[in-house]
Amino acid sequence: MSTTEATRAAAGTGKPQDAAAPKITYGRNGVPITPGGVKGHGFRTYEIHQRERLGQSTAKIKPAQLISPDFIRDPYPFLEILRENYPSYRDWLENSYWITRYDDVTSIFTDDANFETRPRRWFYNIADYGRDLRQELPVLFAQAKAIDGNAQAVAEEIVSDIRAKGGANLGIDFAARFALELLVRQLDLPTEDAPKFCERYWRMTHGFNVDPVAEQDGLAAIRELTEYFRPLLASRRANPGDDLISAVAGLDLDGGPATAEDLVVTLLEGDHETLHGGLANTLFLLLTNAGEFQKVKDERRMAKFAFLEALRHSAPVLSARRFARHEVERFGKLIPEGGLMICSAGAANRDPRQYKDPEKFIVGRKDLCQREPRGQYRADGLPAGIAFGFGKPSRHPAIPEDRPRSMYAITRDTATTALNVLLDSFPDLHLKPGAKPELRSLKLWDTHTCWDLPVEF
Amino acid sequence: MDSVTSFLSTIVENADKPNEGNAPSSATHAPRAQSVSAHDFPLMPVGEAYDMGHAPDGTPLIDPRIFNSAEFYRNPYPYYKIMRDHYPVFFDKLHNCYYVTRYDDITTCYFDDEGFNTIPKGSSSGVLGNTQLELSGVEHRRRRNLYGQHLVGKSLDNRMHAIESIAEEMIADWDNLDESVVQDRNGVRSVAIGKAFANEFPIRVVCDVLGFPKESRKNFFYWYNSMMSGLGGSETHHQGLEARQDLEDYVGTLVEERRAHPTYLYDAAGNPIGKDIISKLCETQIDGDYLSTEEITSNIALVVGGGGETTRGAILNMWYLLLQHPQQLEAVLEDPEAMWDVAFHETLRHSTPIGGQPRHNSFDIELHGVKIPAGSLVNMVDFSANHDDRIFNDPEAFNIFRPDLYSGKLLRSGFRKEGKCSHMAFGVGPHLCPGAWISHQEAVIGSKILQRHLKNPRLNVDKMPKDFDGSLMPIGLISAKEVWIDYDLE
Repeated sequence: MSTTEATRAAAGTGKPQDAAAPKITYGRNGVPITPGGVKGHGFRTYEIHQRERLGQSTAKIKPAQLISPDFIRDPYPFLEILRENYPSYRDWLENSYWITRYDDVTSIFTDDANFETRPRRWFYNIADYGRDLRQELPVLFAQAKAIDGNAQAVAEEIVSDIRAKGGANLGIDFAARFALELLVRQLDLPTEDAPKFCERYWRMTHGFNVDPVAEQDGLAAIRELTEYFRPLLASRRANPGDDLISAVAGLDLDGGPATAEDLVVTLLEGDHETLHGGLANTLFLLLTNAGEFQKVKDERRMAKFAFLEALRHSAPVLSARRFARHEVERFGKLIPEGGLMICSAGAANRDPRQYKDPEKFIVGRKDLCQREPRGQYRADGLPAGIAFGFGKPSRHPAIPEDRPRSMYAITRDTATTALNVLLDSFPDLHLKPGAKPELRSLKLWDTHTCWDLPVEF
Repeated sequence: MDSVTSFLSTIVENADKPNEGNAPSSATHAPRAQSVSAHDFPLMPVGEAYDMGHAPDGTPLIDPRIFNSAEFYRNPYPYYKIMRDHYPVFFDKLHNCYYVTRYDDITTCYFDDEGFNTIPKGSSSGVLGNTQLELSGVEHRRRRNLYGQHLVGKSLDNRMHAIESIAEEMIADWDNLDESVVQDRNGVRSVAIGKAFANEFPIRVVCDVLGFPKESRKNFFYWYNSMMSGLGGSETHHQGLEARQDLEDYVGTLVEERRAHPTYLYDAAGNPIGKDIISKLCETQIDGDYLSTEEITSNIALVVGGGGETTRGAILNMWYLLLQHPQQLEAVLEDPEAMWDVAFHETLRHSTPIGGQPRHNSFDIELHGVKIPAGSLVNMVDFSANHDDRIFNDPEAFNIFRPDLYSGKLLRSGFRKEGKCSHMAFGVGPHLCPGAWISHQEAVIGSKILQRHLKNPRLNVDKMPKDFDGSLMPIGLISAKEVWIDYDLE
């Protein structure tokens, strides 16, 4: 009796299936159907056909784990499971696809024809609130100029405050403060307004997540900031300076002159998270890796490489979202129109297909592009860490020279400046005894960075 | 300017604290801690919603993490009420989907075959195959009629006697069931009508109507359970696929036989009344070609899937609700011919076994001020439509006498008749459940026969499942888990 006949005979007897017992049955063409992988010849969706062809199941991880407190604290073990087992994991709970390998993630970032970015305004359901002016040349110039002109001074001011206090939590007192104060300088706000502005700015940029109370706070902050900027924008329009608000005030676009709403949206869509988080993570990694720290102390030009390697090893923005513009076949799956792709920088940056010993923090590693921390950029034929999660790449590339440098380059140089100022001032910078710093997100989808980094000098 | 970061210390400090829930926006506007866990939401009294915070204008907020919680599965209606009243289109960022919750909106969307054409690809097709759940327009209509016609009208009337004899057969078998299902004490019998009757009865009926041999019944139950629990990306997806393959192998054999030797269904007198569904599908042609075995299997899989859980839930929910409302039970028992139909419809309105249907929108739309980009997952919540107080007066009350519920034959082309509205448990529009009428007949005929056997029925509260917090598990998202009934043997 052939296996096919045996199957038919078995099916015909109508024996109840015992789910607990190991069951070996045979498909119509004699192909065994085993619990380890269904090898049938019947109907399969394309997705299931591919998954079975590759011998995949999804048994090693559950979607609920990807929003669990453990994931929020340390996502890397989960991301490794995804990357090594399910490179395009269909997450039915959160209705998304997780893309976790380096080449896959960058292939989405560079594929503007098939995948789109949705602005933060859309997540707030205020898509019509204002225009995003980040790509306007006067805005870019003003931004670049303010950052370049103030980075050194801001860093020195912070360092002198730290010296006066005799110690600091570098995560907040240095990294976060540096990023926020640079923003204040870009806008050239009155000193007394700075604390209030920073608090509102933070609420606005951290409100578009799943917490509805935070979202309400964020919406309130957007309205408050708009009212705050309205008179400021008018006065700068009358008496322009060389700051960002003046640059916005001077814009007269197709849709009419720029408004306070436009300015707020421009601030909302940009972010300072990579500068803040990247600086904090660099300091964390240096202070907890004595050998690498020594490299930087010995040879100061390594500071830049330390920052780039930190963005690779511990990206502060863990993932970026892209939506399929139309039905598209990718990664062995048929992605439906509107499909949400979670492009995981955290997973891609530790892809062993790209980096040797990806879990190790190695300043000046030979297999990392030592220029810009931008995933889609493979200068020198080497992969760069993926760190700038949100938003489209700039319309304006870094060259030719009469255009502003890209924000990636600006951020890199600014962070390097800040690191150098800090290290120059405190040659014996070290962790406070007993401190156990760690990287973590405060909330789901929030910056993964070091919030508590107490140091002495 | 040291103070630009002073607010941050508070945020970092608060991050580890448990969710404070009803804390409104504080003066400092410090965002609350955010840890995602089902246990973050305490179980509320049935009918009350957990306070998830308020907008400045007092609008209650919905925290999408509630959808993962045990509380929501036990007690979904108050949350849907908040959504109906304040967020008729709710965008759930966590699950990347939208909820449409008002009766009128849902009916509009269900009838809009073009704008909201299909259920999301892959959610059911992995296991069930290419079914008409994923089709629309003409393609949907002609495939649906392939087997839909056998589940209604004369072909169903002719099968009533088979439904009755299956029910009688199952009840007669109670004497042989073990203590975990049937217990006799002092002339009183306690029976778990889920395990002893409702779980399997609809499956047997479907098996019969399809024309499966009797001996395949046990397999059928396995196929049904595995395929249903293996839909979409569920954790038992793999088992579902195995069952699907198994069913396909079996059907393949059957189809080859039936193509050569069709089998017939018989009326009460034993005269053939027509071919069974499988035999008919075997000789059906579309575009001049016969259906493939895969297509036939997919059609069968859909009937198998659609015919089980829903009807089971309807029978259990109906008995559970009636036993809790003795006056209504009495009215039903006094006039079974008229009142079981009415009770069936009110049950489906009050405690719908299936929560709703997902759809993908074909193009960008704006509904109630919310912009929904093309291809979004839009959940039509039938649950919520059935409790919409814009349509049904006092919707939370179970009342078989309610004047605003249409309880005649099911409406496919509309949802309002004689000034009343139909419930949404079977959907409306082109995708109206084709098994609605057979499901209705199963539940009503089954219950009438149960009524004949159950003398003085009452709920055995001690034996009822107690899953949540020591209180009775009410009729939740799917249906009552089990209903224990005591009745007098003499």
